[in-house]
Amino acid sequence: MLKRLIFLRGAEVIAFVLLGLIPLWVSNSYALGLLTLLAIYGILLIGLDVTVGYLGQVNLAQAAFLGLGAYAAGVCVTLFGFGIFSALAVSMLIGLTLGALLAFPALRLEGPQFALATLSFSALSTTVLNEWEGLTGGAQGLSLNRPAFFGHAVDAPGFYWLCLILLAVVWMAMRNLLSSQWGRAFEALRDSPIATDAMGVGTYRHKVAGFAFGSSLGGLAGGLYAFNFQYLQPQSFTYDLMVILLLGVVLGGRKSLWGAFFGASLIVLLPNLLSNRLLFEIVAALGLLLALVVGLRSWLSKHQLQFQAVAPIIAMGMLVIGGFMVENTENWRKAIFALMLFSVVVGLPDGIMGFVARYLTQLFRIAPPALPQASTLDSVLPAKASDGAILLELQNLKRYFGGVKAVDDVSMQVHSGAVHGLIGPNGSGKSTAVNVISGLYAPTEGKVLLHGKLLPSGSLFKVARAGVSRTFQNLQLFGELSALDNVMLALKDAYRVPLPLVLLGLAKSEEICAQSDALALLQLVGLEKQARVHAKDLTYGSQRFLEIARALARKPELLILDEPAAGLAHPDVSVLVAIIKSIKQRGTTIILIEHHMDVVSELCDTVTVVDGGKIIAAGTPEEVKRDLKVIKAYLGVADEAPLQA
Amino acid sequence: MNSLIIAQMAVSGALMGLVYALIAYGFQLTFATSKSINFGQGELVMLSAFFSLTLLNLGAPYWLMIPGGLLFGVVMGLVVERACVRLTLEQKSEGWILLTIIFGLLGFSAAENIWGRDDRPFPSPISSDALHILGINVTPVEISVAIGVFAVMGVIELFKRKTLLGKAFEAVSADRDAAELMGISATHTIMLSYGLSGMVAAMAGILISPITTVGPTMASALILKAFSVAVVAGLDSGFGVVVIGILIGVLESLTSYYLGSGWRETPGLLLLILALAIRPNGVFGKVSIRKV
Amino acid sequence: MLQVENLRAGYGASEVLVGASLHVKQGMIVALIGANGAGKTTTMRAISGMIKPTQGTVLLNGKAVQGMSASQIARLGLAHAPEGRKVFGPLSVEDNLLLGAYHRLPGFLGFHAMAAPDLEKIYNLFPRLRERRLQAAGTLSGGEQQMLAIGRALMADPKVILLDEPSMGLAPVIVQEVFGILRRLKEQGITLLLVEQFAKSALEVADYAYVMDHGRIAVEGTPAELHRNEKVIAAYLG
Repeated sequence: MLKRLIFLRGAEVIAFVLLGLIPLWVSNSYALGLLTLLAIYGILLIGLDVTVGYLGQVNLAQAAFLGLGAYAAGVCVTLFGFGIFSALAVSMLIGLTLGALLAFPALRLEGPQFALATLSFSALSTTVLNEWEGLTGGAQGLSLNRPAFFGHAVDAPGFYWLCLILLAVVWMAMRNLLSSQWGRAFEALRDSPIATDAMGVGTYRHKVAGFAFGSSLGGLAGGLYAFNFQYLQPQSFTYDLMVILLLGVVLGGRKSLWGAFFGASLIVLLPNLLSNRLLFEIVAALGLLLALVVGLRSWLSKHQLQFQAVAPIIAMGMLVIGGFMVENTENWRKAIFALMLFSVVVGLPDGIMGFVARYLTQLFRIAPPALPQASTLDSVLPAKASDGAILLELQNLKRYFGGVKAVDDVSMQVHSGAVHGLIGPNGSGKSTAVNVISGLYAPTEGKVLLHGKLLPSGSLFKVARAGVSRTFQNLQLFGELSALDNVMLALKDAYRVPLPLVLLGLAKSEEICAQSDALALLQLVGLEKQARVHAKDLTYGSQRFLEIARALARKPELLILDEPAAGLAHPDVSVLVAIIKSIKQRGTTIILIEHHMDVVSELCDTVTVVDGGKIIAAGTPEEVKRDLKVIKAYLGVADEAPLQA
Repeated sequence: MNSLIIAQMAVSGALMGLVYALIAYGFQLTFATSKSINFGQGELVMLSAFFSLTLLNLGAPYWLMIPGGLLFGVVMGLVVERACVRLTLEQKSEGWILLTIIFGLLGFSAAENIWGRDDRPFPSPISSDALHILGINVTPVEISVAIGVFAVMGVIELFKRKTLLGKAFEAVSADRDAAELMGISATHTIMLSYGLSGMVAAMAGILISPITTVGPTMASALILKAFSVAVVAGLDSGFGVVVIGILIGVLESLTSYYLGSGWRETPGLLLLILALAIRPNGVFGKVSIRKV
Repeated sequence: MLQVENLRAGYGASEVLVGASLHVKQGMIVALIGANGAGKTTTMRAISGMIKPTQGTVLLNGKAVQGMSASQIARLGLAHAPEGRKVFGPLSVEDNLLLGAYHRLPGFLGFHAMAAPDLEKIYNLFPRLRERRLQAAGTLSGGEQQMLAIGRALMADPKVILLDEPSMGLAPVIVQEVFGILRRLKEQGITLLLVEQFAKSALEVADYAYVMDHGRIAVEGTPAELHRNEKVIAAYLG
């Protein structure tokens, strides 16, 4: 515990103290200017990393938020005479508001459309800054003076310290955020957005909040940028800057505060790199050497030329050869950025920090903090008395895909406290039916009622919030999260501390409570020993059980288990049966889709059999097994009179 | 009088809109097969225009310049596919967004240094003297743009519908795995789509250059509007781009007339963000089904 | 015609196939039956190249094809009608069929004339497809899509057909029709590997059968032999 604290926090403290002491020794104003920029870009890149790293989206608007924040501060100071902190607050607010406004539409889609929307936003903001001359001075630019700090003029070292303190605050806030439910949600929604929604953690709202938070840091950095240069022009915040910022984040290493810091240092140093010919040639040669070494290693281990290994060598080779051929490297700076960025993205996708971190963790094995005592299961999942009333009712449910009637007029009732089996041959419509119930698909026609009230349709998130939880036939675990975090993410009503307090690090106690509760659920499925193991490293059977524990963390009224025994070995099947039995004892209603008839007979109170999208039989397992129609559906047509083609 | 000016603005705007539509069509071609697009497409337009101009300056006749320029576009499209797209598609990541942006940056820098930063005129054998049709001025060059756009799109659509190779292209878009089982190589089809997309970009460059002149920044405004057209129309709808392209062309030309030329980009950008808010898959787009 | 030896394959961490071997001789219908999750579909996917086997060999007409891409294997004469049918929804029925013969038709023009006799054969086999030849395949009913998927595989004029769960999601009447067609194809001498969860129906058309369990072949034999095997009867034939 102490070792962990010293290593992880110690490095941060030393770095910040060293950075803070520099102005006392060095009075070179140029160096101080670079350090100030380092702090500003550090804040900016931490903000950008939220979208690019944690949300996994290509965000091309951060340069625009820098510009908007800068202009907001500039206008506040020149037109309204704001003080330094109120101006910075306005910058941040502008980033937050515009970020949220952009995120609402843009984050409904993934990938290219999102990148396009942010690109358009950047272009739009440049246009506005250029054309709204009354406010921004247009292409002429906007000059401003750095406002005084409680009557004292802020000199260069003072401003540097301000930037550094703000960077430290942002750093801490970000770390608190990432070690809370928010950090888990960010990780989860990249792994499986569907499961994130199905666990009642809104994918969309977390993405919007994350983006708005990142944008507000962009705005804050913009305000500092304005006070640093004291002169603003719309051209400073265009596409070119955006590419450089992306270079910083990717080269430094995504999903890492230190990565953002390294990236910022790189951005600050780049112009010097290009103006000094010798330095450039050294760096280019080193880059080529690194690419060659990495390439050679991959060739030796795999015995084939891989694109990841070859492409960076070619790109760095172009950089070296080009360095000899061209007269002025400054003119080619975009091409140089491009080649460097290309090599990094292809050959070193985790960036410098990812590379370094891999070796550091091998050198220093730091044990994770100890886990708290598990709560009692009764407190997490209190036993309910079941009254046998109708819990779920499907009324004439239909779901068509093109001409295929996957679910065709299904009506059924599930009674509270029961285990209700849903069986039928492959493709008979069972899975589609539960996908409609759980909100993945909206029904083509018909109703789904829970407690006699209409369930929301077509939204996994809303259905999950209404008390229905599920597992998936094809596992949808959050592979990058530990088993414990998988369960903690889904815990219902465990996180009540509002975001501002989370940022201040005041969510620790509720985090520990959540850990205890999650451990209790892991105990239920026999995984408490593997709590810290990444879900993707668990055995297949354990992954199945973990999904059940995760679904239970929603404390659901209705639990849907979609083929939980699929692919399980025999011993695991008996464990599964025991788990389901103990869940049933606690009064949770279960819909069980299953193929193993022995499992169904042992667990189910009622069974509904579907075939071809229609219900063909219903009753107790014994009744259903004797039903002729069921026998026929399961065994095919051969039982009929011999058929002639 | 006023209505005549509006009509004039609308017609010239619509003709520009066709060029946006053509570039957007290039996005659709690659999106159909690989769910990826080239963010450096604007630079492809610009590089092809420069290359074609160089061919002309070297004394190549006009009829040779066009296939030469188109071939250059195809080659560049294939380079983009190999260098920036294939690996990331294999990794099922969206790294191609970043990589194609990087490629565009490289192309931009190369053009800046090889051909210079100045805008240059692009000679055209077609007259740019205005014709008066119903009181509206239209130049033959502008008409050639319209003809060129429809010709390229028509040929590619015919290819997709009437040849087996084209049907294979559609099959890969519909279901990549099933297409592989028919012996259709998805990799080759994606290469084909990037080649065609590069050709479309080159055509756009050759068509637009006589009107806008050639320079490193010639496509930066064009491409933004092509993005808008592609997203608003939907990345998977065939001729929706033409309708939306014309609409955005007309809107921006009217905007620049009433609000000043600095604002001409705004309608396209606003429409894009609005379209994402209301119909994320585009006005003509299909809704996709999530699977578990 | 098709020889599979000691095939291993899986998805990510979970290994589904742990050494499956089977043989399909020219002109035979071979059934592969077994419980859900036993690895039948995975076997097919590993044979046709949709997933890469981690170990083992697949010989198609004596040529090793394991590790090739699905499209290469298809061009060598293997047609796989996959689970869930996977017809090209937006394309017409006829285009779907033409694409089935993709690798043996000219790419640009004249393919239609060349494919006409084969199309005619398929339409005679499935008159309902002729009625709907210009309709988008995605709007067909489940049974019609299954027929289209079989027709598309036949269009390739393949050496071996892999047919995965043709009865999946179909009403019993349609299933009968599909099996009727398989009988007729058997008379014409096609070579077929059939995965089917309706073990009884599958055994009626098959010349030979393999029973899969937990990723390996548990039992094999002629249908008559399997009918005498008590374990198989208890587990699969009810």
